[in-house]
Amino acid sequence: MSSLGEENPNDDTLMFMDLALQQAKLALDSLEVPVGCVIVEDGKVIASGRNRTNETRNATRHAEMEAIDTLLEQWREKRLSTSEVAEIFSKCNLYVTCEPCIMCAAALSIVGIKEVFYGCANDKFGGCGSILSLHSSSSEALMSGGVPQGKGFKCTGGIMASEAVSLFGNFYEQGNPNAPKPHRPLTHQAIQ
Amino acid sequence: MENWEIVHVPDNPPIPPDQQPTVDVIASFVDPKVANTLVRRLNQIAQLENLRHVKRVKKKFVEGGRTQLSVILCLASEIGNPLESIPHDVQELMNSYQLSPFITKVCKYAALSKEEWEEQCKLWPTSYHPPTYNIDGITGFSEEDSQSVFGFMKYAIQLAKSGDKMVVNAAVIVDPSVKQVITTACDQTCPWYTPANNTTLETYCFEKTEASVSQSQSDGVFSYETLHSNSLPHFPKQLNTGVCCLYPWGWAEQQSDTNSCSWHPLRHAAIVAIESSAARDIHLFPSLGKIQDKYAETEHIHSSSVGSPAKRQKTHSTKVNDEAHLDSNDEGSSSLSVRPYLCTGFDIYLAWEPCIMCAMALVHQRIRRIFFAFPNPNAGALGTVHRLQGERSLNHHYAVFRVLVPEEVLSRDETAAAEYN
Repeated sequence: MSSLGEENPNDDTLMFMDLALQQAKLALDSLEVPVGCVIVEDGKVIASGRNRTNETRNATRHAEMEAIDTLLEQWREKRLSTSEVAEIFSKCNLYVTCEPCIMCAAALSIVGIKEVFYGCANDKFGGCGSILSLHSSSSEALMSGGVPQGKGFKCTGGIMASEAVSLFGNFYEQGNPNAPKPHRPLTHQAIQ
Repeated sequence: MENWEIVHVPDNPPIPPDQQPTVDVIASFVDPKVANTLVRRLNQIAQLENLRHVKRVKKKFVEGGRTQLSVILCLASEIGNPLESIPHDVQELMNSYQLSPFITKVCKYAALSKEEWEEQCKLWPTSYHPPTYNIDGITGFSEEDSQSVFGFMKYAIQLAKSGDKMVVNAAVIVDPSVKQVITTACDQTCPWYTPANNTTLETYCFEKTEASVSQSQSDGVFSYETLHSNSLPHFPKQLNTGVCCLYPWGWAEQQSDTNSCSWHPLRHAAIVAIESSAARDIHLFPSLGKIQDKYAETEHIHSSSVGSPAKRQKTHSTKVNDEAHLDSNDEGSSSLSVRPYLCTGFDIYLAWEPCIMCAMALVHQRIRRIFFAFPNPNAGALGTVHRLQGERSLNHHYAVFRVLVPEEVLSRDETAAAEYN
């Protein structure tokens, strides 16, 4: 289970989450579900991302996937090898405004991220404790019959959660333009 | 395996029919003459909450052609001696009919299959209602639909075998209402893997947009001699390691060719297929994706998967969306003239059971049914390691089927794709 509501997140954590929230606001301005993130290596932001599911009509284009793709694109241009890429990911932290969904949590485990900090919990899709706990396998890659069985990562939730939630509030107020016609009136429904 | 077969993979893990959970109830033998009156009264004073599938009366034929009836009086209390904690009303009824209670077991949950039901009735009779979901196929496939499923699965397996060097996972997204291939994709995680480009398939694919064409084009030639023929799932491990849903964490161990222009640890076949179907949607229905360049400067972190920085004009797109929804929603399927919401109504065929990342991606994209041929013992998310279709909290649920493929199909080399022309 990830720890929720860290009592004293340090200044850096708050600063990076604030940057992630700015990304979420960019998403909101583009009529996207407002989730944003930044990826940090050695105290430096090396990528950011925000939800782009409506624009791409691809419901898998979550902030985390966008940021990971940005990095891989950069590293491809630098012609880094797989082992170099794995090495950098293992030193990266992710700050994201909402708990990664099951897909993103699996993706973060696959690339081997070091640590994840998130804002609000994701009660419907959360992959870091809410529905599944994909972060909590061993912190090292497990081997079973020579097959890597997955990497866990440290996960801390509840950082600036109310800011993240209020963005969702704004979004559902304006309505998701790309969602199917709702069965119920648009209120606070599923979050990304 | 000698014959094709489609097996539904249910939302709940199957329980061996003879190991179903039970609960204790208090019952009594009764005189058949008073059974009706008694049951009517019991239904008033001691309803069997959460045991609607359990019948109140058990009938048993004993020697001499007589029937012996027993009736469930009430649930047995879980605390203390159940016979001493019978509700007052039931006690009174027992006294007036001079019943002698005993404790017996009934199955706790309604049977999900005929086999389970038959086993349940050995304990105490229950009722059985075959499932009636609204997704086609769960209650069985017509001959025509079965043939269509087998054909698309053959195609997916063919794609999985079509690489130069090794077997990969392959995905085929299909609109079942018109039996049309929407898009196909293979794993694109490995630095040295180039998916084959089978020109006979091209006729089925829409005119490709840059997003899919850049990734899925190649000069690949079918080279099955590298596959040790026979049955696909029994290939030596070094050949199957190309299936990234089987080895999601294996990418870091792969040797990369630094000259290779494209590799990506997350580009599993299902993910690529979703991307390609989204690109197709934008291609066919461009009006929904109005591009407005004046916002381009804010898009400093644009996606590598979508070509141009784009932003929709708010007022315009909202209006168009509303119009589009008038004719596209609740359709469940589509033709070229009707735009579905994401992959609503579409099926996906995968050679291997997807990992959890791909399985959740398919939830997000609203796929209706998933068909896979080979279970994924390392990371399978649809019944093997996880069972995502059973997560009730998700906002979309697909039906999952395993397709059993005859050995001869796995070893045969001719292109199944030819059958689609």
